[in-house]
Amino acid sequence: MIRSTTIGMTVPDRNSPCWVRLANGGFARLKTNHLGAKMLAKRIERSADPPATKAFEIYSFFVKWEPSLREELAQLSSL
Amino acid sequence: MNKLISIDEARSLIERGTTLSFAGPEAALDQLPHGRWIAGTIPYFMLPEGGAVITDGHVFATELSQLGEVTFESYAADQLAGISANAPDHGFALTIIPAGGDCHRRFAAEAADYPATFVKPPVGWIAGVHLSDLGKVTPKVYDGRTGTKFEDRAVVAYVHLPAGKQLSIEIVNLFEPDDGDVLQFDQVGSVTRSCRVNGEPTDFAAYIRGRGMEGGQLPLVGDYAGAYVNVSLQDVGERDVAMYAPVFPGVQYRFAKPVGDYTTAFRERLAKQSFEGAAMTCNCILNFVFGELEGKRIGGVGGPVTFGEIAYQLLNQTLVVVRVN
Repeated sequence: MIRSTTIGMTVPDRNSPCWVRLANGGFARLKTNHLGAKMLAKRIERSADPPATKAFEIYSFFVKWEPSLREELAQLSSL
Repeated sequence: MNKLISIDEARSLIERGTTLSFAGPEAALDQLPHGRWIAGTIPYFMLPEGGAVITDGHVFATELSQLGEVTFESYAADQLAGISANAPDHGFALTIIPAGGDCHRRFAAEAADYPATFVKPPVGWIAGVHLSDLGKVTPKVYDGRTGTKFEDRAVVAYVHLPAGKQLSIEIVNLFEPDDGDVLQFDQVGSVTRSCRVNGEPTDFAAYIRGRGMEGGQLPLVGDYAGAYVNVSLQDVGERDVAMYAPVFPGVQYRFAKPVGDYTTAFRERLAKQSFEGAAMTCNCILNFVFGELEGKRIGGVGGPVTFGEIAYQLLNQTLVVVRVN
């Protein structure tokens, strides 16, 4: 299922490969002013969790903060 | 509502069933009737008329009723992961923890790694005491439902936001890292003896003294993917360095650049910070002391001046703003 935002950006399905790409280093390249996103990026970098766990955590973060992450959502395909 | 009120006004609000978070001196909080509130001890505040020290007769009230449904919980030191885990999917966990106990130490070290921290965030502050009472009086937090006060337990007001309401958690940090040495640490800890300076193992206390930083005015600034998270120095001993928050492996730290005039710096930063829908704010006692903010106006919204600030994790020397729009 694709979650739609008010301006048409979408949070990709939790099985999208974008989340694993983010978990494997892409999240550190995200350009963001969102405090939680920056802190989470550092946690993901420091974490020894398997990529699938990190990927789900990042997905859940985007679902939670979707209205605040429109610019970040637009970057997902390029990270 | 975010303002200083008399004990009689607080009592009246509680008796009308209003849901509140209070900050104030212990003697004032002890006089509040049971009801829908949590609280923590602290006598320092930033108010519209300036920084203030309130020792009796008043409490600072943050009304939560208008934000949404509120439920309450409290946690022992070995239960703190529940703060986020039990938070509403759409909302936040307004959390107050007394300084100096196991809850404070464990939250500081562990909160950034609790599974739900970034999707069900804790925000709030660390309760303290008048600085002249350090070592003589313990900070307390209160569960207003029973009027119970705790020296080592976290109290939480879970704010369940209605659909369509959006939460923002923002910080105002006056400190930026300098252009000097990069410090890294191999262990999580708020007391440490060694670090690596530009990769070289170094005696941390000797390094601090060598740079003339032992007074503690300037924190370490950790780089969290571009977000600056401070760790303030508490005591630089002969061998050990104690800090008000832990350092973490994998984070690069530098000492902060000096801040010339805190009042001017805060005014400039707060003039650019939105306070639309501000639900709560708090600022740090070290900013209050080192910035000599008593009696000075800095703008923004009033709030307690605390022994630590919570925005996802424990922060130092930082102003936290929680907004709901």
